[in-house]
Amino acid sequence: MTQTPDNRRELLPGTLDMLILKSLTVQPMHGYGIAQHILRLSGDVLFVDEGSLYPALQRMRQQGFLKATWGRTPNNQRARYYTVTRAGRRHLGERETGFAAVIEAMLRVLKPA
Amino acid sequence: MGLLAFLAKLADWRRRDQLSGELDEELNFHRAQLERDGGAGHARRRLGNLTRLKEETRDMWSIPWLDQLQQDARYALRGLRRSPGFAATVIVTLALGIGANAAMFGVVDRLMFRPFAYLKDPDTVHRVYLRWHDRGTVRTDNWMEYTRFLDLQKWSSAFSQYAAFADRNDAVGVGDAARERPVAVVNASFFDFFDAPPALGRYFTASEDSLPRGADVVVLGNAFWQSEYGSRNVLGTVLQVGDMHLTIIGVTPRGFAGVAEGEAPAVYLPITTYAGSRRGNQGTTYYRTYNWGWMDFMVRRRPGVTVTQASADLSQAYVRSWNAEAATDHIAPASVAKPEAIAGALKEAAGPDPGLEARTALWVSGVALIVLLIACANVANLFLARALKRQREMAVRLALGVSRGRLLRQMLTESLLLAFIGAIAGVLVAQWGGAGIRGLLISKEGASLAVIADWRTLGIVAGAAVVAGVLTGLAPALITRRELATALKAGTREGTYQRSRLRTGLLVAQGALSVLLLVGAGLFVRSLERVKAMRMGYDADPVLFVERNNRGVNLDDSALVRLNLSLLDAAQRLPGTEHAALNTTLPFWSTSSTSLFITGIDSVRRLGRFTFQQATTDYFRVMGTQILRGRGFTPEDRASAPRVMVVSDGMARRLWPGKDALGQCVRVRADTMPCTTVVGIAENIVERDLTGTDRFNYYMPLEQDHLDFADGLLLKMRGDARAQQEAVRGALQKLMPGASYVTVQSFGDVVDGQRRSWRMGATLFVAFGLLALIVAAIGIYGVIGYNVAQRMHELGVRIALGAQSGDVVKLVLGQGMSFALTGIGVGLILALVVARFVEPLLFHESAKDPAVYAGVGLVLLAVAMLACALPALRATRADPNAALRGDS
Repeated sequence: MTQTPDNRRELLPGTLDMLILKSLTVQPMHGYGIAQHILRLSGDVLFVDEGSLYPALQRMRQQGFLKATWGRTPNNQRARYYTVTRAGRRHLGERETGFAAVIEAMLRVLKPA
Repeated sequence: MGLLAFLAKLADWRRRDQLSGELDEELNFHRAQLERDGGAGHARRRLGNLTRLKEETRDMWSIPWLDQLQQDARYALRGLRRSPGFAATVIVTLALGIGANAAMFGVVDRLMFRPFAYLKDPDTVHRVYLRWHDRGTVRTDNWMEYTRFLDLQKWSSAFSQYAAFADRNDAVGVGDAARERPVAVVNASFFDFFDAPPALGRYFTASEDSLPRGADVVVLGNAFWQSEYGSRNVLGTVLQVGDMHLTIIGVTPRGFAGVAEGEAPAVYLPITTYAGSRRGNQGTTYYRTYNWGWMDFMVRRRPGVTVTQASADLSQAYVRSWNAEAATDHIAPASVAKPEAIAGALKEAAGPDPGLEARTALWVSGVALIVLLIACANVANLFLARALKRQREMAVRLALGVSRGRLLRQMLTESLLLAFIGAIAGVLVAQWGGAGIRGLLISKEGASLAVIADWRTLGIVAGAAVVAGVLTGLAPALITRRELATALKAGTREGTYQRSRLRTGLLVAQGALSVLLLVGAGLFVRSLERVKAMRMGYDADPVLFVERNNRGVNLDDSALVRLNLSLLDAAQRLPGTEHAALNTTLPFWSTSSTSLFITGIDSVRRLGRFTFQQATTDYFRVMGTQILRGRGFTPEDRASAPRVMVVSDGMARRLWPGKDALGQCVRVRADTMPCTTVVGIAENIVERDLTGTDRFNYYMPLEQDHLDFADGLLLKMRGDARAQQEAVRGALQKLMPGASYVTVQSFGDVVDGQRRSWRMGATLFVAFGLLALIVAAIGIYGVIGYNVAQRMHELGVRIALGAQSGDVVKLVLGQGMSFALTGIGVGLILALVVARFVEPLLFHESAKDPAVYAGVGLVLLAVAMLACALPALRATRADPNAALRGDS
């Protein structure tokens, strides 16, 4: 069983791709870095499970949204770094627009209550 | 899944091992980071069970069916490596079958289907064929007069483009570089049919191709431009073609050959320039009269017009044109002749009146297909034998839970793998053997072409391989549907061997098809023998014929006589010459006829078409034509002596039936002429067609007429005439003034060309027939041999019980021969039914020739006997001890 502090939330389905791509637009990162980045930026709320992260990375690499290259960490460890491709950026843009529309619509439904 | 996505997946699939390793390394790194940040326990909790993660990821780069295919292919390769003999037999058999088909398809495709290079929208382009009734027979022709072309163009409306064209041979260049080359004479509109921007300069325009005579311009063929001018810029240079001096205005793009089937034309010139430069009446009346049929005509249908409508439109125009001709010339009225025009295939071989050669080629491709069928039957049989041998293995695998579908896939993979290896070998076979076939069928130039000239042939080869693979792989699958339990229970040796109806059926079919092919081969070989054995009335092989071409050099009559005599004199002095004679015509080359008047006969013309030869004294000695009675020409038959002629036997019988032709008086050209006395009767000669029966020829000494009439001479050579062609040309060319020249050709080659379709049929049918025979023999041998191997135990028991070697041999042979006899019987009946369709292609040979059928039957019987003999001998060595000691 994984220890999960109370304030941690599971990701909304279908948002992982977006978060990964968004993180990588900042700079190329390795898998561990991506998970840490999302956790930190979300104020320790969004927790990315390894079991979802790595399949998602592979899938997006195959789809051509990401490129994977082996590099060195500052500690001189060999790690696999991911960068966003142009197709990845386009995909991210589409997802972000779609997501914003959905959130807005949901809020409109939820607010009056 | 889109293609790109699939390709991405395929790329991952190919490096899936690497990807998997990378994922492991990546996860190890992740673990290390977790340990650093939260300790070993934290890492273990987070990454405790990675199996699901890895599986999920790996699924992304795996393609299950491809994995299986790879597995099956490896399995098949392993299996084949264990039985190299089997693999080799299958590959060779299929290679022969597929190779034969690739070669034949290449030929037929070239003759009939492959569109001409650069042709725009080939489906809408047609050659125009004319058809009419002539004294009870229907004639189809694609040669027409320029006037007819203008008529059809004027009176039809279904077409957007029209072009007249003709292929001629003419002297191109001057001096030593002058050669006879293929020359295309075409309308300016001809080039609009193509999407072929000139490599240099431009094509000629309609104003340069105008009546009555076009401009003196010429477009060079690309290959000619390269070989003769080294691709230099030659625009504006003058080139002599025939006796025309033409300015070069353009060069065709590489690979352009217009609608030429053989060698690409060296030059293209306006058709009106060519026709308008003709001497005499032809040059001024070719577009107004209907007496010079010499060119072809192509059209492009307007969008929305069907082929039927196009033909109907052309036909009504042709009827009007026919009526226009009937108004001036004495021809049958349209109501009788029923003229009809057809918008047919641009390729003549695919048109309404394909030549004997194209028809033979089609038959031969059918034959190639049968060879492939036999090869497939054979390979299927081999696979069956193997499947029977591996029955236990299959049963065990089924029992272990391998699905039948998987097994089937495995067998198909195996057979397809072999089929494709066979196909590759087949292409090599076709490349090697195909050169000969194309040489026979198309032309000398065609022989050097690659077999796999384009994707079409490649597609056919791949298709043949798939069909062969599936056919041969499915057969064994049919018999593995046996009961599992039976197969598992049975020992490796069984008391009785299994007969397979499928296998014997395949064997009988093979035999029958081989008989069919061999009967075809026999019929064609007999035809060829008959053509060759037929006395032509001359010995063509030692004869060379020299054609004199003045090419615009003006010589008066007496100068021509002097030139002719000096040529004759020089020819006679050549060391290789035995006899020489000036002549005017030549069989299969040109004929002349004129009016004859004979007392007591109303109209000689009505009795037949009598053609004449005028030649000098030694003519009969040159040609080897026998004088049956009377005499040939002598030096005494001078201009001042009484006129004489020699007539052919056929002509003598036709004109003076029951009377002696010798001494008869014939008036030539006009009934006011003095008597020409028949002084000799010569054997009949074949002049125009091998199959005709009317042989009406007469001969007159040229010395008694005008020596300047001769436009060539004939030489009978000692030794190989063809080898001396160039020497003769060199010697005689020296005498020719100015740009005039001589050509030297082998008369033997001309006559051989006439026999081509039969030679081709005989050669190819025999080659494929023998191929089929060999394959079928391997088949019989394989099956009987396998049966014997399976029955060794039983045979051993028989020997132990007292059977003699003779009994065993009889047993095995009996079985083999019963297959063979059934196959032969079925094949002969089949052949009798099919053969009558090839009868029109045969020469004086009945499709029911009993000698052929009997011969083929005996040959097959003998081959079957041989194929069974080896296994039968092996059977006599069955060991009774082993049989009695062995398990069971």
